[in-house]
Amino acid sequence: MNDLYKALGDISSIRRQMASTTEFRGYGPATLATTGLFAILAAAAQALWLHDPAHHISAYLGVWVSTAVLSAALTGVQMYNRARRIHSGLSNEMLRMAVEQFLPSVAAGLLMTIVLLQYAPFATWMLPGMWQIIFSLGVFSSCRFLPRPMIAAGAWYLLTGLSCLAMGGNRALSPWTMGISYGAGQLLVAAILLFSTPPENEDEV
Amino acid sequence: MKSKPSGNEGRFAYEGLDRVIHERARLSILTSLVTNPKGLTFNDLKQLCALTDGNLSRHLSVLEKGKMVEILKGYEHNRPLTVCRITSSGRKRYVEYLSALEQVIRDAAKEAKEDPKAKLVRGLRPSKV
Repeated sequence: MNDLYKALGDISSIRRQMASTTEFRGYGPATLATTGLFAILAAAAQALWLHDPAHHISAYLGVWVSTAVLSAALTGVQMYNRARRIHSGLSNEMLRMAVEQFLPSVAAGLLMTIVLLQYAPFATWMLPGMWQIIFSLGVFSSCRFLPRPMIAAGAWYLLTGLSCLAMGGNRALSPWTMGISYGAGQLLVAAILLFSTPPENEDEV
Repeated sequence: MKSKPSGNEGRFAYEGLDRVIHERARLSILTSLVTNPKGLTFNDLKQLCALTDGNLSRHLSVLEKGKMVEILKGYEHNRPLTVCRITSSGRKRYVEYLSALEQVIRDAAKEAKEDPKAKLVRGLRPSKV
């Protein structure tokens, strides 16, 4: 029995090694562009209905957290289906790696939000900037298995995040600090994926 | 004689075990190449798979005929250099083979778990009668 389990372990280590040298094609350009549109819609909604976000921080969080959850759910479902179709034999390993690369920044963003709200409510204006910087770290760590130009998307989020922090006050909670950075950022990600990856029907594992 | 239930028909057929890959030397060549997608030189491959020049050439030509590897001949520092690389269809077939092989081992492990006598049989030598 031990020999059999060792053989299964060897096969799974070959799969992991293969996955680590394969470009991940589970992110669909259309889906990511849609998440960018969600961000623009959320910014428009905030501009219309939430004029003073600094004094209605829970409403502000409601808008952006629900947008993030919706985008993550859409990306997750599509990523699962796409990876199953394109990477067939390696899909589990590829999905696991993609999640492992991005999950730490999602967790860090969530925990940072909770800590700022609980212990430093005067610093909540920093949230959009910090979210964008943490998101840029997630993009950078995923770059290893994505097309090279994806570094530009990471740099975009880092730049917009730092710009938000540089605003140094409640102006950072303006709807367009999030709307422009995530709207344009996700459209940039989608464009990079669209133009840097081979067509879907090309042989792939 | 009673025929077996149709649910079991072809259960152990393992059609995914590609004959071209299912040879020790070719399996080791492909495993080396699949984990080095940028390719390996002929000499590196020879060392990794512990094969002689002639054996490696023979197996590479079988794999090349099956469009599973590509062999690129060029020069580096004015010396001839042969680089072997797995093709996209080679990767695909290798992954399918790996899945079939995994299924064989899973079935064997399942049988061994279900039938404790198998443990006893494992330690016995075959009869010479």
